[in-house]
Amino acid sequence: MKKFLFTAFLFTVAVAAFAQGAPEAANASFFSGKFLAHLSLAIAAAGCGLGQGKAVVAACEGVARNPQAAGNIRTTMIIGLALIEALVIYVLVAAFAIK
Amino acid sequence: MEHHASALAVFLTQLLGLARHPWGTFAHGEPLSLLERWDHLFAAVLAALVTMFVVYLVRRKMAVIPGPLQQVAELIVNFLREMLSDNIAHHSERYLPLVGTMAFFVFLNNFFGLIPGMPSGTGNWNVTLACALVVFGYYNFHGMREQGFVKYWAHFAGPIWWLAPLMFPLEILGLLSRILSHSLRLFGNIAGEHVVAGIFFGLMPLFLPLPMMFMGLFFGLIQTFVFLMLTVIYISGAVAHEH
Repeated sequence: MKKFLFTAFLFTVAVAAFAQGAPEAANASFFSGKFLAHLSLAIAAAGCGLGQGKAVVAACEGVARNPQAAGNIRTTMIIGLALIEALVIYVLVAAFAIK
Repeated sequence: MEHHASALAVFLTQLLGLARHPWGTFAHGEPLSLLERWDHLFAAVLAALVTMFVVYLVRRKMAVIPGPLQQVAELIVNFLREMLSDNIAHHSERYLPLVGTMAFFVFLNNFFGLIPGMPSGTGNWNVTLACALVVFGYYNFHGMREQGFVKYWAHFAGPIWWLAPLMFPLEILGLLSRILSHSLRLFGNIAGEHVVAGIFFGLMPLFLPLPMMFMGLFFGLIQTFVFLMLTVIYISGAVAHEH
């Protein structure tokens, strides 16, 4: 935990130093809209990965138990994955919109 | 997003000597021709023309023993027909023309973006929004035609009459937000894939974008399927009879 916090601190300092080192980019502060947009995309992608992982695990178990139902399960899974993915896509579009 | 004219549009502008106008707030005032400014429409029209040409080629020589082109066409049509009959209980054949048109249009537009220098239609929100609006109007029209105007809109109010003032606005909101989710899903996937491939191209132009473009091949197909599947599900929800 201590190591993790130290690494996180070092990373923060490094990012801040990097931001200081580029004075021509006036908008590159730590809490600029662009940075927050990219951060929110990372958070959304993490949640989407967990959700899609659960969905795929359930679908694989279903196919392994009953291989004859593979077609139906695949269709349902793809629709479900698309609906989960849509949430990340909204964040991606928002990140596009914020310049 | 700032607008980047595709190489094909730039080439055609120079070849045909089209006039360039500064487009003001659209693209930071840089002078672009009509073709360069609206190259997604160019791709969309091209996709429609290619679809018509392919269908004309298939229709011209219909045979009992099908040739290669007819076999592929029959495969696609049978796939779409099965998808419709699996999800819609009655008269599913009726909705095949729109779903098939959408299939070819969205598929070709997804794949135009993968050809270097070609503009992609579905990488722009205007094209996907147009598709989603067409589908929205289509399933609402067929819902009203199938169930009657009053009955169709009454089923948004829910079964319990005293909850109707709460349910009706929420259901209408859900109905309208379908346009947004249906169009943004396709646009975000294709545009995001292009942006990532572009960043890889900026890192190393030679081989690095290739994996992303293979992913683009795969995702183009999957997103076409998802778009069609949602279209079919929306239609089946609108025309379903509650016995």
